Amino acid sequence: MAEILYINGLTAGYGPLRVLHEVDFRVEEGERIGLVGLNGHGKTTLFRAVSHLTGWQSGSIKLNGEEIGGTRSTGPGRQTSAIVRKGMAMTPQGDAIFPGLTVRQHLDCGAYSRLAWRERHKRRDMVMDIFPPLRKLEDSIVGKLSGGERRMVSVGRALMVDASLYLIDEPSLGLAPKISTSVIDALFSLPKDGRGMVIAEQNVALLSGRVDRMVGMHAGRIRGDVGHVGLE
Amino acid sequence: MDILGTVIHALNLAAIYGLMAIGISILWSSIGMINMAHGATFAASGYAAWLAASAAKPAITAVLGKTLLAKFAMAGVTIGAGVFAGALFGAIIYLLAFLTIHDKPNFAVRSLIVTLAINLATVQLLLWYFGPRQRGLPKLFGFGKFEIFGAPVRYDQAGAILSTALVLALVLVWLKVSRKGLEIRAMMQNPEGAVLSGISVRWTALPVTMLTGALAGLAAILLSQTIFVSPTSGALPLIKGLIIALLGGLGSVPGAVVGAVIVGFLEAIVGAIPFLGQRYVLFASFIFIIAVLIVRPRGLGGLLDETRE
Repeated sequence: MAEILYINGLTAGYGPLRVLHEVDFRVEEGERIGLVGLNGHGKTTLFRAVSHLTGWQSGSIKLNGEEIGGTRSTGPGRQTSAIVRKGMAMTPQGDAIFPGLTVRQHLDCGAYSRLAWRERHKRRDMVMDIFPPLRKLEDSIVGKLSGGERRMVSVGRALMVDASLYLIDEPSLGLAPKISTSVIDALFSLPKDGRGMVIAEQNVALLSGRVDRMVGMHAGRIRGDVGHVGLE
Repeated sequence: MDILGTVIHALNLAAIYGLMAIGISILWSSIGMINMAHGATFAASGYAAWLAASAAKPAITAVLGKTLLAKFAMAGVTIGAGVFAGALFGAIIYLLAFLTIHDKPNFAVRSLIVTLAINLATVQLLLWYFGPRQRGLPKLFGFGKFEIFGAPVRYDQAGAILSTALVLALVLVWLKVSRKGLEIRAMMQNPEGAVLSGISVRWTALPVTMLTGALAGLAAILLSQTIFVSPTSGALPLIKGLIIALLGGLGSVPGAVVGAVIVGFLEAIVGAIPFLGQRYVLFASFIFIIAVLIVRPRGLGGLLDETRE
């Protein structure tokens, strides 16, 4: 099977703070991985390092075999849009939303590739099939939506293009249990072919039994592939 | 006190300062840069328009004579040169003050210093090349006045107010409906979300700097209908633009429009009060912005938006 993401010896941090220590991590095609661990142990930083949003980083990151890592001491965010265009879709913790745009415009923002822009009506329909509550909110301002609806918009934006790697950071954060279950269900309803997905989550029960692998993070290091039983 | 005349004067000032302020506001919220070189853009566009107008005048007079068409041609050349030079200057600011340092730490402060340096250098260059003498631009809207409800309105005042309203409406519509406009608005509201949506900050910043430069160029042409072009003519519009952008809550386009109207009226009223007069206009503006920053540092920002935090 093809490797979607291959991380080797990744060290990253912000200013004097070193968060990740020599992390090795890989995602294969069709895999859904749960990344679990406590607050402040590097799950979010791992995602941010893949998208070059950390303060500094070094180590090899390969997306579909193409090197996107390397050593960098400045310029967080400079290469992010280029990496996104190579097929990485990330939903950051606490939602990347544009408060003044409508749901429709918001989803259009996610359709950055030429093909997706041309097909944006079809793709919006697809996102709304996954998240039915959004359908009647199409023209409302995102800043006025509830937390759950915002999360749907934020995740929906990442689904507007065909990415190969989906990085979803804490989809249940701050949501009522029922709503977070429906968001997770929607994520698992995506087709598996040619894609890999990593979901960072603290609520292990939400992922338990549904992901292919659980990977634990502790103090900036990967703590092996852990079975769900061990964590429960 | 001539109330209607004061209103017209206020709207005229609001139009010109509003063009500057909206440029400053959009630049700050989309790429996080306080553009101190906006005044230099203003002055340079004024000179570019003057050069183009003086160069084109003999040719236009020779071909078209003193017809109405010749006037339109002169106006087209003047406005086109000013707006083009403004956009070009915006691109220069992008190359010098954005592209080189935008991903370094403390970009906001660094770019403030770089753009201030560009401003000072440009003013000195203009002073060195053109000398301190003031230049007059051709009158785009002709001489004369007409009356609205008995109040005399000069053609240049009416022209400035109407063309600003038109241009601002066009810019706002473009921001609302076009794809680039969508990207710019996304970047204004959440830069990190924008890069995660595949929007390149480096490529979106160029049209933003060019657009705001073009607005400053237009402001220069319109203000030069009333005053003259000189190397330092950009300083006051820059200060007024900054005051209005702050008042409007940096980053809010509707806030900048409302702020421009408020400051325009403030200036016109202070200027019209007999015992204060024109000499206290700048004084009043500064007292006003200090009061705003003490009482409500966010300015009008947040009052006009419908979103929640």
